[in-house]
Amino acid sequence: MTYSIIGRCARTGRLGLGITTFSLAVGGRCEGVAANIGVCKTQAFPNRTNDPLGIKLLAQGYLPARVMEMFAANDTEHGYRQVAIMNRDGKIAAHTGPGCRGWAGHKDDADCVAFGNGLLGPQVLDGMIEGFLARPDDALEYRLMRAIEGGRDAGGQGSADAHRPERSAAIKVVDRRDFPDVDVRVDVHPAAVAELRRVLEEFKLYEEFYRGRDTDPGKAIPQDVFAAQLKAKRASRTS
Amino acid sequence: MTYTILGRCAKTGRVGIGIATFSITVGRYAHCARSNAGVTISQAFANENNNAIALRLLDQGFSAQAVLEHLKANDAYYTYRQIGVIDRTGAAAAYTGPGVRGWAGEVAGDNYIATGNGLVGQHVVAAIARGFLAEPDTDLEHRLLMGIEYGRDAGGQGTAGDHKPERSSALLVYSRHVHPDIDLRVDLHATAVEELRRIYVEYKQYEAYYRYRGEHPRGALSQEAFMKTIAAVA
Repeated sequence: MTYSIIGRCARTGRLGLGITTFSLAVGGRCEGVAANIGVCKTQAFPNRTNDPLGIKLLAQGYLPARVMEMFAANDTEHGYRQVAIMNRDGKIAAHTGPGCRGWAGHKDDADCVAFGNGLLGPQVLDGMIEGFLARPDDALEYRLMRAIEGGRDAGGQGSADAHRPERSAAIKVVDRRDFPDVDVRVDVHPAAVAELRRVLEEFKLYEEFYRGRDTDPGKAIPQDVFAAQLKAKRASRTS
Repeated sequence: MTYTILGRCAKTGRVGIGIATFSITVGRYAHCARSNAGVTISQAFANENNNAIALRLLDQGFSAQAVLEHLKANDAYYTYRQIGVIDRTGAAAAYTGPGVRGWAGEVAGDNYIATGNGLVGQHVVAAIARGFLAEPDTDLEHRLLMGIEYGRDAGGQGTAGDHKPERSSALLVYSRHVHPDIDLRVDLHATAVEELRRIYVEYKQYEAYYRYRGEHPRGALSQEAFMKTIAAVA
């Protein structure tokens, strides 16, 4: 049981992954997000070697469809995997093996692929795509977040009489550098999607401060001073 | 304000990090370990490029000390950084620049570096090292987490009259695969070390199941069925 979206910002070339699931600590199983290369995510019964291998193959210039064929040839259990791949140009390939349990499928649209298993039905993927496309000018992390929320609001995981909670969630976005631009996670939580929104919003408040502090340390204010300024700003907004 | 344990298991060669800090989402800044290469961290005023460079150099076979010298030569603000590097032989090299704020420093030995800044005092890093060394025959992730908890219990971040809470934390261990063995995080929490322990205990129950399910999908138990087996044991 998982629903995910991989996406690309056509303006900036930034690439990213948004994911949520019943399993714990899903963000610790998302190695396939690489700046200037692409995104590869294997889920359902995941083959952990797929994603790093996929990134290496994309880096060599193989197209997502060809990478998927190589995955199939390299894995006796490919029929149990659910995989989505996107390269830096936004070309995609997706696979939902017949061994995936529950309602499972994938759906693509402009610069994105939504894919999931153990879901209520195809409306979950529709909700994700709708969320991703709603505000195309927003930063990619917000579009991914809205996609996950769209999937949740469309019913998410489980069946009509047995909803399965999202217990972990993650968003990862890369731009041009070796480390991610955005990398936020919730590892064990009863409402992981709402908690991920809270973490993302908080991170966005600190993002510029952290970057400035590290690139020009001599001028940096202490973090507790910055945190106090944030608190004052919040208080003046709510009063 | 941050405290960190970098460690290597001499028996298995596994490498990893435990880290806790006042900053949020510290795991974003801790993509810093690689199988058969080593582990590193750049903190305080962190040069975000350092971890990736250091891992590439370790991968190529440079020693921990040589990596540190490369990072120094490549950074106009080196004196604001706090850096640790352990290579695949277990050799450790660490640096705390004079521009780092609050009490800052490290305790290092073969296979470990306890390092931190904005701390209550030197006894915090000494305690981290003690925690890491306390049970040398246990799993590396357990030893790293013990190190962080000892650091917290010794007073952690801030000054004597002004404790600064741990708001995020992370635990990361690599063995032989390209992907991590253990990769757990707390991004935004009032007591992030306690929360990391909670997540660790939860995750450890599932770890083998998740691995088995991916490697042997045919006939794998559903997660709900697996959870009933945990409940039955408990």
